[in-house]
Amino acid sequence: MNGTWVVFRREVGQYFASPIAYLIAAALLLVTGLYFNADLTFSVGTKPAEPALIPLLLSFAMVFCAPLLTMRLLAEERREGTLELLLTAPVSDGAIVLGKFLSAWFYYTILLALTFIYQIILVSITQPDMGHTMAAYIGIWLYGGATLAVGILFSAITENQIVAAFLSIALLFILWMGELIGQIITNLELAEVVRQLTLIGHFTSSFAVGLIRAEDIAYYAGITALMLFIAIRVVESNRWR
Amino acid sequence: MIDVQNLSKTYGTFAAVDRLSFKAEAGEVVGLLGPNGAGKTTTMRMLTGFMPPSAGSARIAGYDILNDSLEVRRRVGYLPERVPVYPDMTVQGYIQFWANLRGVRDARRQTERVLESVHLLERRKTLIRNLSKGMRQRLGLAQALVHDPPVVILDEPTIGIDPQQVIEVRQSVRALGEKHTVLFSTHILSEAEQVCDRVIIINHGRILAQGTPATLRQQLQPGDHLYVQISGASSAAGQRLLAEIEGVQQVQPQGIGFHVRAAVRANLRGDIAQRVVQAGYQLEELRPVAMTLEDIFLDLLGREEGA
Repeated sequence: MNGTWVVFRREVGQYFASPIAYLIAAALLLVTGLYFNADLTFSVGTKPAEPALIPLLLSFAMVFCAPLLTMRLLAEERREGTLELLLTAPVSDGAIVLGKFLSAWFYYTILLALTFIYQIILVSITQPDMGHTMAAYIGIWLYGGATLAVGILFSAITENQIVAAFLSIALLFILWMGELIGQIITNLELAEVVRQLTLIGHFTSSFAVGLIRAEDIAYYAGITALMLFIAIRVVESNRWR
Repeated sequence: MIDVQNLSKTYGTFAAVDRLSFKAEAGEVVGLLGPNGAGKTTTMRMLTGFMPPSAGSARIAGYDILNDSLEVRRRVGYLPERVPVYPDMTVQGYIQFWANLRGVRDARRQTERVLESVHLLERRKTLIRNLSKGMRQRLGLAQALVHDPPVVILDEPTIGIDPQQVIEVRQSVRALGEKHTVLFSTHILSEAEQVCDRVIIINHGRILAQGTPATLRQQLQPGDHLYVQISGASSAAGQRLLAEIEGVQQVQPQGIGFHVRAAVRANLRGDIAQRVVQAGYQLEELRPVAMTLEDIFLDLLGREEGA
């Protein structure tokens, strides 16, 4: 456990030691700010503001952002040779991967928290459905964890960060697109199976409409656990070369 | 402290390390000497718990490298060949990270102590990317020592740094032997000779010879090597004269004298002196020539390849 904590602390430090972390946060606030503004002007006098606005935007954005946030984590260690030192430190391979994953999730959580500013604005001008919004945020938080775990896995597989990012974008995009594929399948049972396997199949019709369901939580937790498990095995395989 | 028994690492049919056995006592500085690709790094990687051996076993400080890997890793400090660093960390942050990861109590004080010992304390706020190569090497050494391990394993610590720094690193390694058991690899023979209590020469993953630099030289020096200088004779005549003496195998001009290689036998030098004087020349100099480890090494490698 100590190993996880030490690795976590170093990685969080790395996120905030570089200006990139702040640039990403600024860019995120700029994009979501524009989006929020557009929704507000569109909603005036016609409908209430969308309670799951930011989480819905992120459910698509994370397909591209999660790989960018995680591509460095293990690929860089391998390229720089520091992985050899990490693997000869008295900590388990699992602790290393877990610490890195948690640091990425922590950074993502902070980014997510920054977007609460729009809720504060909404509360001050109207009466938004906070329960609905909170459910959507909890959903996108779990959703984000699963996408970051996918990113970690591909970062473990290659020492090239670009390749890692590209491969995880591909997998995440497939997991995301599955929803669309499910919609055009005429066999209803098959379509439902496909939909149950996809990332947003467990988001748009549950968390995003204010529902918190155990099956959706189990899905994201399962994807996260599976990806981390494979990532740990991949890191371990460095010992057999 | 280090006890290696028939350690092997095979990749398919290729044996990178082939039934290696050796021991190192506490406080000993042991050099692994061999050309590139001899299996030095692979051996070290197995001993540090980075990769498991294909066969055989090793114990470090009484712990088995396979069954008690975590205990072994707690007791070993390791500096890989290409000193791995995090360029965006400060010197202090980097060392403290490794101290924490290895569960050092009072990591901050220990970090300062070890940085002091490698003369990097005044640089502790510097980003690693701004350090010179020699400083990085010292940083790597500090990383390997921060948890005060009984065993220190250094993979070619003097590669790629300038001569002044090479001398410093050698002195540090030598000094480490007072408190730690040190296993270090090199392909430079004079280095092994200067730094090590004991040298293990390996090639193709197997041990060719081991012993103190002095005994190695004694054991492996095949035959007698003498330097003979004669006055009053032409070079050709001198060479012919020496070559005729019983037991002499080879005579080569060296400077103004000759390098004579002969089978070991009683009274060889007496015979040489007598023959030179009998022929009417004068014997100016007659002394044994000590082979350097360099010569022994090349000789061993040559013999192995010939076999």
